[in-house]
Amino acid sequence: MSRYDVVVIGAGLSGLTTACQLAQNNQKVLVTATGIGALLLASGCIDVLGFQPANSMEPVKNPASKLDAFLAERPNHPYGLVGRANLEAGINNFLKLVNQYGLDYQGDFNHNWLLPSAAGAVHPTCLAPASLTKGELSTGESMLIVGFSQMRDFYPTLISQNLNEQDLVKAEPCLIDVTIPRAGKVDVVPTEVGHAFERAEFRREVIKAVKSKSKGYQRIGFPAMLGLRQHREVVADLEKGLDKPVFEISALPPSIPGRRLYEALKEAFLQAGGKLILSGKIVAGTIEGGRVTQVQLETVSRLKPIQAQHYVLATGGLFGGGLAAHQDGRVTEQVFGLPVAAETNRHKWFNPHFVSPQGQPVFNYGVKVNEHLNPINGSAEPLAENLYAVGAVLAESEWAHGRTGDGLAVATAAAVVKQIS
Amino acid sequence: MKKSTEVLVIGGGATGCGILFDLAQRGFKCLLVERGALSYGTSGRFHGLLHSGGRYAVNDSDAARECIEENFILRKIMPHCIEDTGGLFVSVPGDPLDFTDEFYTACQKVGIPVEEISPGEALRREPLLNPKMTRAFTVPDASVETWEACKALVESAQEYGAEVLTYHKIVNMLVSNGKVTGAVAQNVVTGEEVIIEADLVVSAAGAWGGQIAHMAGCDVTVYAGKGTMVAMNYRMVNTVINRCIKPHDGDIIVPIASVAVIGTTSVRVADPDKYAIEDWEVQLMLDEGEKLVPSFKQFRALRAWAGVRPLYQEKAEGADLRDVTRKYTLLDHTPRDGVDNFITITGGKWTTYRLMAEETVDLVCKKLGTERPCQTATTVLKSPGDKKFYTLGQRLEKIESGEWSGQLICECELVTRPQIEEHLAHDPTNIINNLRRDLRLGMGPCQGGFCTYRAAGIMNEYKRLSAPETNKALVDFLQERWKGVQSVLWGQHLRQMQLDEGIYLGLLGLDKLPTELSGLDRGRIGEVETEGYFELETRN
Repeated sequence: MSRYDVVVIGAGLSGLTTACQLAQNNQKVLVTATGIGALLLASGCIDVLGFQPANSMEPVKNPASKLDAFLAERPNHPYGLVGRANLEAGINNFLKLVNQYGLDYQGDFNHNWLLPSAAGAVHPTCLAPASLTKGELSTGESMLIVGFSQMRDFYPTLISQNLNEQDLVKAEPCLIDVTIPRAGKVDVVPTEVGHAFERAEFRREVIKAVKSKSKGYQRIGFPAMLGLRQHREVVADLEKGLDKPVFEISALPPSIPGRRLYEALKEAFLQAGGKLILSGKIVAGTIEGGRVTQVQLETVSRLKPIQAQHYVLATGGLFGGGLAAHQDGRVTEQVFGLPVAAETNRHKWFNPHFVSPQGQPVFNYGVKVNEHLNPINGSAEPLAENLYAVGAVLAESEWAHGRTGDGLAVATAAAVVKQIS
Repeated sequence: MKKSTEVLVIGGGATGCGILFDLAQRGFKCLLVERGALSYGTSGRFHGLLHSGGRYAVNDSDAARECIEENFILRKIMPHCIEDTGGLFVSVPGDPLDFTDEFYTACQKVGIPVEEISPGEALRREPLLNPKMTRAFTVPDASVETWEACKALVESAQEYGAEVLTYHKIVNMLVSNGKVTGAVAQNVVTGEEVIIEADLVVSAAGAWGGQIAHMAGCDVTVYAGKGTMVAMNYRMVNTVINRCIKPHDGDIIVPIASVAVIGTTSVRVADPDKYAIEDWEVQLMLDEGEKLVPSFKQFRALRAWAGVRPLYQEKAEGADLRDVTRKYTLLDHTPRDGVDNFITITGGKWTTYRLMAEETVDLVCKKLGTERPCQTATTVLKSPGDKKFYTLGQRLEKIESGEWSGQLICECELVTRPQIEEHLAHDPTNIINNLRRDLRLGMGPCQGGFCTYRAAGIMNEYKRLSAPETNKALVDFLQERWKGVQSVLWGQHLRQMQLDEGIYLGLLGLDKLPTELSGLDRGRIGEVETEGYFELETRN
C-alpha cells in the first residue's frame, strides 16, 4: 500500500496548483486524474471576477474592489468562505509558481486585463501571459488581426467587426494564405499551427504575407498558436520581422496557452518531487471514524488502495466529472458519495435561456464545505477531518457568467495549502 | 407587391411541394407560399420513415396498400433522397404471437414483400437487437431525407416555371361573393405584404389547414397530434426496426446518418405551434427502445423534438388519436362550404405525399375544366450529379480522396466549408438552423458545440454580415439548441453543455456582444415556440 502525505484527486487548475505548492513545501504528494484535467479547454488565463453583476455589459477593471459587491449578491460563493486574503494569496502564489517554469504571466488582484476574445468580445482577466496582455484593449492602440485561410477556428473579420462595433480599438482583419505543413493531409488544428510556427521558414512566410498589410496598425494579433515549447522565441522572432508588437488571442480548444500552462504546472510538480498518475481514476474512498482511511485507484487488473494523511478532492463539477447528474434527478459526488446540495427535480435545473445572467442552477450544485474546506453534512459537521475540497466541485461555485472559475481554483488551493502545511 | 397566378399552393411540406411539381408539370402557372423554409412544418420534424406499409397492414389495409405502392414509386423517382435501410418487424417476449401471424398474412394480402427470418439471422444482421426476440420479418421500409426531397420537387417544378415564396406567411384570404380570389402573404423577414391573385387556391397546410380554411370562411377541424421523438447518440441499427404489435408509442427505431431515432408518442395538442416535450414521453421512448435494443439506455440521448400530425376526420369525438385514420382527406369547399375556387388537402403521411398531390391536382383539373394526366409516378426528379443517396461513409470517402476539398467544419457529420457556402448562396436568412436542416451541421454527438462558431464565422465572411447580425444568429441558434436538449439533459450530455457554456460564454464572451438589429427582427423567423422545460414545470 502506498503512503503519501497528500493525495490530490484531479489534475485541473485547482488540483495542480494545490499539489505544486504542497510538493514545494516538502510534502510527499500524489496527483491522480481520470484524464489530463481541463486546462486545455479554457483560455489559459486566470479569470477572477470579470463582470459584476454577472449581467453587466461593463467589465470589471479592478476585481479586488468589486469582491464585496460580488459576495453581497452571492454570499455562499466559496470566495466568501476562504476570504479575500486567500484569494489574493492564491493569485500571488500562482504567479510565483508558473513564472518559475518559463512562463511570463502578468497582473495582480487590483487589476483586470481587458483582452479581445476570439469573437471580438471583451475578456476581462486577472492574470495572463505577456503574449496575450499585449492585446490589452484599454490602450486604444490599433490592431491588425491575422488569420489563416486554412484555419477554421479563428475568424478575424468577426473579431474586428465586433471590436470596432464596441468602439474599443480600430481593428482590421488580415486573412493570409500560407502553407501550413500537413494541411490537406490532416485537419488544421491549433497544435498543427503551433508546430508550424516553430519552423523558421513558416515564420518567414507569415512575416512576408503580413508585413505589407501592417502599415498603419500599431500591433498585430494572431490566434494563440504561436509555438508550443519555443513560444518565447517564436514571438520574439515575429516581432523582429514585423517590427511591431505581436500578441495572441485565445481561441477554441485545444487551447495552446492552456497547454503551455498545463505543461509548466506538471513540470513544477514533478521537479518538486511529486508523483503523477494520469488516466488513473479514483473510484471510491473510505471514511471511517471521521477520517478518510484510503482511496481506491482503478487499475487494469484490480482496485489499488492508496493511503495518505490528507486527501484533496479537486475533481471538478459536472463538466470536470467530479459530479454526475442523473436522469432520475440525483446529483452525486463521484468519489466519496458526499452529500451534494442540489434540486432533484430536473425541471429546476435549467433556465429557459442558454445565455442567462443568473446562470444555470444545475451548474451551481456541489459539495458544501466549512471554512476549512472540509466537506460537511446537513448539520454542518465535517465528514472527515483530513478531507478537503477545492475548485468547481464546491457548491455555489457557478463560474461561467461572472467569469470567476480560475480565481475559485487558486483561492481554494491557497486555503487548503495553508491548512495542510 | 402584387402577383398573379393560376393556382396558389399554401404550404411547403412534402404535400405542398408535390402538388407544385405536379401542377407545373401539367402546365399550370403556379406559386407556392410557405411561412418558413421548405419542410419547416411536420415534414421536417417526422420520423424520416418511408413506410413499407407493414405498420398498417393489419388495421388499415387501404393505408397499407397505398404505402407500399408509393414506396416503390418514390424509390424510382427520388433515389437520391432515400436510404434503402430495409425494415424489420420483430416481436419480443410478451408480444402476442397471434398478431404476428395476422401481420404476415395481412402484408401478403396488400402486396407488401414480407419474409420471415429466424431471430438468429435477425441478430446476425443487427447484433444489438433483443436476443430474446421471438419472431422477425423483413419488409421494404427505408429512411428518407425530407429536405432533399422537397428541394428536388421544388427545383423540378421551377424548371417548368413554378414560383416559390418561402418565409411568407398567409395573413388573409381574399374572398368575394363566395369565391376565393387569392390570398395576402407577408414576408416575415421584411414585413412586406404580397397580394396574390389566383384562379384557385390549394391549402396543403397540414396541421394548420384549419387555420387557413377559417380565413376563407370554411369550418375545417384538423386535430394536431403531437409525436415526440428522441435522437440517440449512436447508429445502433442499420435497419428500420419496428415492433410487431398493434401501433403503439415508441415502437419504431430509424437509423438516420450517425444517430438512431426512437419514436413516437401521440398526444393531442391544442395549437400546432405551441407544445412541450414532457418527461413521461422521453421516459417512454427510452423504455420502449430498450425492449428492442437492450443496451438502448447506455447511449446518450442527444435531443428530443416533436412534429404534429394532421389528423382529420369528419366525426372523431372521443376517438383514440391513433384510430383517426392516417388516410388523407381532400375537401372541395364548393359543395362542402359554398366557397368556390378553394380546396384543402390534409391528413395523410409523408410516404403518400405524391398520391395526395396527384388526387389534389386531378381535382384542380376538374374544377378548372381541363383534363391533363398526371406523370409524376414515372418522372425522375432533379438531383445532384450522381443521383446517389449520401451516407456518412460516402462523405468520408469523398473527403479522404480529396474530392471534397475545403475544411471540415462539422466534424461529427462531415460537413465542409464549400458545402456551407453553397447553402448560404441560396438562403436569404441568417438562420444557422437552416444549415442544420440542409447539411446536418450540428446534429451529431457534440450537437454543434464547435461547428456553430465556425459556421457563424463563415456566414459572416461569405455574406458580409454585420457583427450584430452574426452575433444574433449565433445566440439564436444556441438558444434553439438549448430548448431542444433540455428534456434529455443529464449525464454526459449535460457535461457537454457545460463545456459549451465555458466556450461560448467564458472563452468567446458571446453574452457580452451586441445583438440589437435595426429594423425587423431577422433572427426569430417562424421557429416553433416549443415550451421550455422550465416553463413546463411552472405551468403545472
